[in-house]
Amino acid sequence: MAKIKAFSPEFATAFKEEINRSAVYKQAGKGWKWTVGLVVEAEPDKNFPEAKGVFMDLFDGEARDIQVVSADDAGKCDFVISAPYSRWKQVMQHELDPTKGMMQGKLKLKGDLPTIVRFTRASQEMTECTTRISVAFPDEE
Amino acid sequence: MLGGLIEANVQGRPEKRRDFDTLKARVGIKVEDIEEAVTLDFRGGRLLVSNGLKRDRRITIRTDADTVMMLSNLAIGPFGMPVYFDTVGRGIVGKLVTGGLKIDGMLANLATLNQVTRVFSVR
Repeated sequence: MAKIKAFSPEFATAFKEEINRSAVYKQAGKGWKWTVGLVVEAEPDKNFPEAKGVFMDLFDGEARDIQVVSADDAGKCDFVISAPYSRWKQVMQHELDPTKGMMQGKLKLKGDLPTIVRFTRASQEMTECTTRISVAFPDEE
Repeated sequence: MLGGLIEANVQGRPEKRRDFDTLKARVGIKVEDIEEAVTLDFRGGRLLVSNGLKRDRRITIRTDADTVMMLSNLAIGPFGMPVYFDTVGRGIVGKLVTGGLKIDGMLANLATLNQVTRVFSVR
């Protein structure tokens, strides 16, 4: 299977499809009605020279829209999770659990914490969805 | 994160605020799989959060990060009692039985533990 470039429009499309394919997310995400922005901070030494954002319109167990946007635009979402590129890569490769990452301050969260905690299962399943995408990472090119 | 969670929980939730305002206890939480520990010093309406486990704790919870999240999702039932018979509650009981969750000082401080649970829970 051809690999999809990380944080590209094709990646956003594949991510949306994986989420909408997940019965677990459909159940765990019931009641979620906020936008989520993922801010991927630049790491020039990892061949990721400019920050990027992922905008996620998630509603009631469904991904209505996922797009790659600027980091600034992602930062305007209801919930924003920020981390350097290599941390996101760890998450996508199952090396860092997002819940643990947030507890350790490796992933920075902006937004109502109790709401995120209520949807822990949904966020874990979203991470699972990224691991099911065959991704080409820029520092491995 | 845990201090922020309690702060957000207490804001705008009068029933949690009442617990928070009367809670006086030093509680330690050791998250063993990420090797992080925190001491929550409840001082009747104020909370001091310190890294590491401080001395003279009344209750110490030792578990993994996922179980901390489960504790935060424990439903609160009638009379402010935590609900241990739904999916999350049964999961917590299972962790207690199998040693995945250890609570030092639990039996001697049940009322305080329930109060901490109510303040900590997002439900």
